[in-house]
Amino acid sequence: MKSYLSITKYTILVCTALLITACSKEPVKQPDSEKSQALVLLRGLPTLDTKHSVAIIELDPESAKFGEILQDYELSNLAEPLHHLYYSPTGRLYATGLDINCSLAEIKLVRDLNGAPLIKGHHCLDTQGQVIGEDIMWHTSNGKEYMFVTFMGGGGLDQADGGSVGVFDPQTNDVVKIISARKSQVDAGKPYIMYPHGISAYKDRMVIASTIHPDLKTGVGSTITIIDLNSLSPIETITVEDAKPVGFPSSPVEVLFVRPSIVENVKPGVLVNTMFGFETWYIPFNEADKTFAEPVKIYNGVDEGTGVPLEFYGTKDELFISHAIPGVVKRYKLSSLPELVSSGPDIKAELGAHHMIFYPSSSGRKLIAVQNNLLNLGNQADNDPTDIDFIAKVNDHSLTIHDLTSSKRLKTINFKEKYNKGIENIEALFGSGFIHHH
Amino acid sequence: MKIKQACYLLLAVTLMIVTAEYYQSKPRPTALNGFSAPFVYGQFTTPQNNPLTNEAVALGRRLFYDPLLSGNNKLACSHCHQQKLAFTDGMKNSMGVSLKPLSFNTPSLVNLMWGPQHFFWDGRVNSLEEQALLPIINVDEMDQNLDELIDELKAVEQYQRLFSKAYGAINKQNIAKALSAFQRTLISANSKYDQFLAGTIKLTDEEEFGRKLFVAHPDVKASLRGGNCIDCHSQFLTSGFNTKYDGFTNNGLDNEEQLLPGLQAVTGKPEHKGLFKVPSLRNIALTAPYMHDGRFNTLAQVMDHYNEGIKLSSTLSPLIVEANNIVNGNKKKPSLNLSMEEKKAIVAFLHTLTDEQFIINTKFSDPFLQEIKIE
Repeated sequence: MKSYLSITKYTILVCTALLITACSKEPVKQPDSEKSQALVLLRGLPTLDTKHSVAIIELDPESAKFGEILQDYELSNLAEPLHHLYYSPTGRLYATGLDINCSLAEIKLVRDLNGAPLIKGHHCLDTQGQVIGEDIMWHTSNGKEYMFVTFMGGGGLDQADGGSVGVFDPQTNDVVKIISARKSQVDAGKPYIMYPHGISAYKDRMVIASTIHPDLKTGVGSTITIIDLNSLSPIETITVEDAKPVGFPSSPVEVLFVRPSIVENVKPGVLVNTMFGFETWYIPFNEADKTFAEPVKIYNGVDEGTGVPLEFYGTKDELFISHAIPGVVKRYKLSSLPELVSSGPDIKAELGAHHMIFYPSSSGRKLIAVQNNLLNLGNQADNDPTDIDFIAKVNDHSLTIHDLTSSKRLKTINFKEKYNKGIENIEALFGSGFIHHH
Repeated sequence: MKIKQACYLLLAVTLMIVTAEYYQSKPRPTALNGFSAPFVYGQFTTPQNNPLTNEAVALGRRLFYDPLLSGNNKLACSHCHQQKLAFTDGMKNSMGVSLKPLSFNTPSLVNLMWGPQHFFWDGRVNSLEEQALLPIINVDEMDQNLDELIDELKAVEQYQRLFSKAYGAINKQNIAKALSAFQRTLISANSKYDQFLAGTIKLTDEEEFGRKLFVAHPDVKASLRGGNCIDCHSQFLTSGFNTKYDGFTNNGLDNEEQLLPGLQAVTGKPEHKGLFKVPSLRNIALTAPYMHDGRFNTLAQVMDHYNEGIKLSSTLSPLIVEANNIVNGNKKKPSLNLSMEEKKAIVAFLHTLTDEQFIINTKFSDPFLQEIKIE
C-alpha cells in the first residue's frame, strides 16, 4: 500500500512539474553585442592534430562567453593557414594566405536564423601563380579603384629574389596586372621588388616593404620600393638600414604613408618598421616634386629595449606600434606624427605582440586585444616539424585584452592551451580602425 | 485513509490526463528552412515567443493573402501590399473597404528586421506583432472584428491545422504573430546593387556616378559634389538604424503652418513635429508614388524636391539645410544645386536597387494562386 501511495504521489509531482515548466515564460534573450566579437585566423598545430580555420570569437571580458569560439570554420583542404584578414571598402571579407594554392581568398559571411554571423564559405582566388599573400590595400589611381595585394613569394618559392604586387579589379577579383621586378632581372641600380609585405599609398605613390623570403632562410630584405600608380610600375628602391643588431639585414616589414587623411595638415611621409633592425624610420615625401628624402631613424629598439617592431594601427587620435620583443604595444599621439610622442603607458602584451583590434565592452569600456604570435610556427620541444628556433620564442599563441585608457591587462586567452591551435591574425567583426596596416 | 488514497489517485489521474493533453496538443514547429540574410545588413532579433519557423511563416503567408481577414471578405493585406510593386500598391493614398482615400501612402514591406523598430509612417507601434492587427480593425482599411475573424478562421479546417502546427490556438495574438513571421521573411538582397557589392557585376558609368553622388555629403571646400542622400538613408538597403528614433526626419516637404504632427503624435515632443519614418530605398523604382502622402509621382520629382523644393520649418533636418553644392548657398532657400546630369545619375543609381527576384519569389507570393495552378 505504501509503494502504491508513493507512485501516486510521484506521478502528481512529475505531472505538476511538467505543467509548471510548460507554463513558465521563457526569459527574453538579449542578443550578444557583436561589437566585441572578432574574426580570428587559427593555425592547426601538427603535433596537436588540429586544422587551420577561421573562427568567430567573443572578446568581451564582461561576458560569460568571453574567450568562447562561436563558430570555427575549418579550412581542411589547406596545408597552410590563411594569413591576414581585410574588409574591402564595400564590406567584402578577404584573407591573404600562406598556402601556395590559396594565397588570396574571399570569405563569405552571412547571418543565420537567429541573426548571428556565420562563416558560410571561402573561395580561393586566381592570383596568376603569385604566392604567399601578405597585405591588401584598396586605393584609387587615376579615378579607378584597385585592390593591391603583396605576394611575398612572387611567382614561386623557388625564386630566391621573388615577390610581386598583384593589382586586382575590386569588383570581379580578376588580376589586372602583376607588378614584379626581380633584382636579378633588372639592371644594377634600378628599382626592384623583393619579398614585399607592408603596403601603403598616398595619391599616386605606393610604398611596399621588402621583408624576408617566405622560407625564412633564403634571403632578407633591407629596402622599400616606391611604385608609380599611374604606370603601375616600380620607380625607386630606398635602403632603410644602418646598424644590424642581430646581424641580419633590417627587414622592413610594415609601412605607413602618413597623410592628411590620417593626420590633419601633416606633411606626407612614410613610416617604416624594420623587423630585424628593431627600428622605426621616417622618409619625408616632397609632394611638389614627388621625391622621397633620405630615411631618418626615429626609434631605435636597441636603446629602448624592444625588438621586432611589426604593425601600425590607429584610432582617431593615437598610433599604435607592436613590438614582438618583449611583447609590447607602444602608443603615440596621432597629431604629433611623424614624431613619435608617447600618448600613454606601454601595453604589456606577450612575446610576439603583433596584430590588434579596438572595441568596446558591453558596459562601454574601451578595449584593445593584442594577438601575440610572430609567425605561429612550432617549437622543437613539441616535436613540431615547423620549428624555427628564433620564431618559436616569439610565439605566445595568445590574445591579451587590455583597458585602452590605462593599458592595464584584463584577460588572456591562450589558444594553444585552450584550443590546441595558434592564432595567426585578428580582425574585429566589423573591421578595424582607419589605418589598419597601411 | 481510503478517502485520502482515493483523492490522491483522482488527482494523479486528472493531472496525467491534463499533462498528456497539453503535451500532445503543443505544436512542435520547425526552424525555418534555407534562411540566410546578408551579413552587412547587421544584427537582427526576432521575438523569443515568435521565432521564424516553417509553420508560422506558412500560416502568416496564407493569412496575408486571404480576404477573409477583411470585414467584407474581399480585401487581403496583399490588396495594398502587392508583391509585384515590392509590397506597395502604386496609389497616392490607398483605399480599403470604405473606399475612402487613406491619409498615407502604403509603405513597402521589405527587410523589416532591420531599421527602426517603430512601424507606420509616424512610428506609432513598436513591433510588427503590434502593427499586424491595426490595419485589420481599422474601419477604413479592412474593417474586421477580430472575434468574428477568429470564428471565421476556426471554421476553416486548413486554418485549424495550420494554427495547430504553428502556435496552437486560433486567437488574435497568434494571427498577429503569424503575419509578422511571414513579413520578417520578406528579405530582398539580390538587386543590381547587391550584385555589384558582391562583385558579380559592374555598374554603368552613369549608375556609378550616381552612387558616388548618393553617398557624398556636398563639401564645397573640398570640391566634393554630393546628393546628400546617405545622411538620412544611411542604411538604404534595409531601413536605417534601429536606435531609438534615428530613422525619422523632416525632409522639408511642408512649411511650418502645414507640418503634420508625424512623430510628435507618438512622443509628444515639439522637436518631433513633422518627422516621418525614412523609408528603405530598396526597390524604390517600384514603389511610386513617393513620400508619406504620395505627393510625388516620379523619382525625378523627388530629386527636384531635394534640389529646389525644400520648405523651411523649425524641425527641418539640419543636414538638409546645410547641404549645398555651391559656395555661399542661401540658407533661407536650401538647395542641393545639382545639375540635371547629376540628378539623372542619382535616379539611375536608385534603379539599381530594384530586386527583380524579390518581386517574383514564389516564397512570398499568393499561395491561393499557387494552389489553383497545382490543381
